[in-house]
Amino acid sequence: MDFTLSSDQSALMSALDRLAAPFEQKPTDFHGFALAGPRLEQELENGEYFGIARIPELGALTAAMAVERLAWLPYSVEIALSMLVHPQLGDEWQRPLALVENGRPGRFLATARTALVVDGDHIGLARVAAGEVVPVDSIFAYPMGRFSRTPQVTACSATDAAKLRKWLRIALAAEISGLLHAAIASTVEHLSLRKQFGRQLGTFQALRHRMAECAVLAGGVRWLTLKAAATAEDGDAALAALHAQDSATRIVYDLHQMLGAMGMTLEHPLHLWTYRVKALLSELGGRSGQAQAAARYCFAGA
Amino acid sequence: MDFQWDAAQQEFRTTVRTFLEQHLPADWESLAHGPGSETQSTFSKRFCAQLAQAGLLVPHWPSRWGGRDADAWTAFILAEEMWAVGEPRGGQYMNVNWIGPTLMRFGTDEQQATYIPPMAGGQTIWCQGFSEPEAGSDLASLRTRAERDGAAYRINGQKIWTSYAGHADTCFLLARTAPGKTGMSIFLVPMDTPGITVRQIPSIIGEGDIHEVFFDDVRVPAGALLGAEGQAWEIARNALSLERVGIPRFALAACSLRRAVSALQRAGRLGQGAMEQSARALAACEAARLYSYHIVDQRQHGAPTGPEASAARYATVMAERLAGDFVVEHCPDALAGSDPLLLAHHQRAIVAGIASGAAEIQLNLIASELLRLPREPR
Ligand SMILES: Cc1cc2nc3c(=O)[nH]c(=O)nc-3n(C[C@H](O)[C@H](O)[C@H](O)COP(=O)(O)OP(=O)(O)OC[C@H]3O[C@@H](n4cnc5c(N)ncnc54)[C@H](O)[C@@H]3O)c2cc1C
Repeated sequence: MDFTLSSDQSALMSALDRLAAPFEQKPTDFHGFALAGPRLEQELENGEYFGIARIPELGALTAAMAVERLAWLPYSVEIALSMLVHPQLGDEWQRPLALVENGRPGRFLATARTALVVDGDHIGLARVAAGEVVPVDSIFAYPMGRFSRTPQVTACSATDAAKLRKWLRIALAAEISGLLHAAIASTVEHLSLRKQFGRQLGTFQALRHRMAECAVLAGGVRWLTLKAAATAEDGDAALAALHAQDSATRIVYDLHQMLGAMGMTLEHPLHLWTYRVKALLSELGGRSGQAQAAARYCFAGA
Repeated sequence: MDFQWDAAQQEFRTTVRTFLEQHLPADWESLAHGPGSETQSTFSKRFCAQLAQAGLLVPHWPSRWGGRDADAWTAFILAEEMWAVGEPRGGQYMNVNWIGPTLMRFGTDEQQATYIPPMAGGQTIWCQGFSEPEAGSDLASLRTRAERDGAAYRINGQKIWTSYAGHADTCFLLARTAPGKTGMSIFLVPMDTPGITVRQIPSIIGEGDIHEVFFDDVRVPAGALLGAEGQAWEIARNALSLERVGIPRFALAACSLRRAVSALQRAGRLGQGAMEQSARALAACEAARLYSYHIVDQRQHGAPTGPEASAARYATVMAERLAGDFVVEHCPDALAGSDPLLLAHHQRAIVAGIASGAAEIQLNLIASELLRLPREPR
């Protein structure tokens, strides 16, 4: 047990900080739902960051930290699945990846090369050809898409499906963890600036305590995620995804509440994090699905 | 970053578990729910002496005081295993975690020679006299006075909620020697000093846990002062920071949860709702565990403990609540005689947000120091 970063991990996180610096702020003239980041994606490709998990000195734990760090940015780029799930696929399956569950629109599907197609307990893989997918307008802060005709799906074995599901859970938790961090920071900034009744809102205890609870929940998500990425245990992955979806449901509500009407605008960046979180709340069976999986894994033979 | 235990840590945990299997009596669980009771106190002296003999009472203390200079992880693994079975050390966990180390840091040679060896031998019980009827969260408003009287101090006042006071040998007492926050001092007061009266407060949290302690013209020699007059805040802060992650409550919460789930499974009564609820509670326990590990890791590396300790505390409070509520909702029979360990857990869980600093005070700290929100006006 040792929570200090190795020198390789520190170096990588510093490099990511530098890479992320130009992308920290939403462009002031952007008033859309999902902020695409092709330049960010290109820089990550050029720096070979999508392969972090495959480097023995770094591994999946560092990849999870990277996913989390990059989710602080207001830009939506397919990072989590590429960094944490893609290493589990054969070389013939190319990134970007999209997750399509039970026929619903999927994040990044319109630009993905490979789709993970989830149908109940089954998972299959499909190559995404241009012309087979169409973008879908949505309130979510991810570019969404759907298949315009039924894709040809290669079914995964039950063992592979379980393994993919585990890494999908870790990717989900890592992304939610980073998004919550950024959304909380953005709300703290608002509460520190906005004054009502002659005081900064952040001085009112009713809000301070709720924010503190949100911070504790989000910190818990982070620890569970990092542990799951490090151990690669099914139970740890399910607990991390459960705590992420469960905590996020509450946190997102509280954060929007604290911004008042400002939180409803496309001008304020909060939705760029919270409406990515909301898109993730339903994935992989939602919190009820994670809870059942976690109970099955963790209480077997209790 | 590494989430695995190394071989020595695993071996140490196994040693502690084996010791517990061999030394906890068959009826241990029925003793566990009276943390300051006569039976528990007597038991803890026998048990802690055995722990001491096996080198498992104070391994993290310096060898000069009977330890073996083991690291922060060793101390925490030990605490986890003890707490997970219902804390057979009783009130002596306080000696091990913070009273002993505080005396090592601030005590005179004489105080150390008098008080540390009996702690290292598992032979003595202490109580902590901080809270007063008018001074709970706002500890700085305390009124108990210690006035210099020649070569002695004369103490007058009242403490409340004092755990283990009924069987304690010595009190780690906070009293006022001058007005204001800087006018507070710590005294090491033998509980058999004339003028001390202890009255147990009947409670829902187990026999002998909380007491009122009255000090009527209690005379103690000047040598009972720990550190200097007015140094109490510094000493108490130091002591409380050791205590903040000292109790791995999540360990008993997680064990209780497993036990409750297992009972429901055996009875064929673990429905989907209960199953999901149990997983939520377990996630909260594991989050609290990792938060606490983070603090232990900071200590291990000699880093100061920051506001993350408050976050760890609060995460633990949330976990205790979910685990405790699970048992109340799904295994109510445990609180009605069928499972003394689950009852003991319940009694500990309900005080998690109150004892050793209320949860809302932690939230204030988190808001100001972790989130850096502007402070409340005073
Ligand atoms: C089982 C148990 C064992 C204990 N053992 C000991 C012991 O051995 N020695 C000892 O000295 N003490 C002991 N205590 C006392 C404990 O330290 C106090 O209960 C604690 O500090 C809270 O004080 P209080 O009970 O007076 O509550 P109060 O301070 O009256 O608080 C009541 C409620 O108001 C909230 N509150 C208070 N101030 C604020 C604020 N500024 N903002 C927002 N909310 C606020 C609190 O968070 C709490 O929810 C024990 C308590 C328990 C329950």
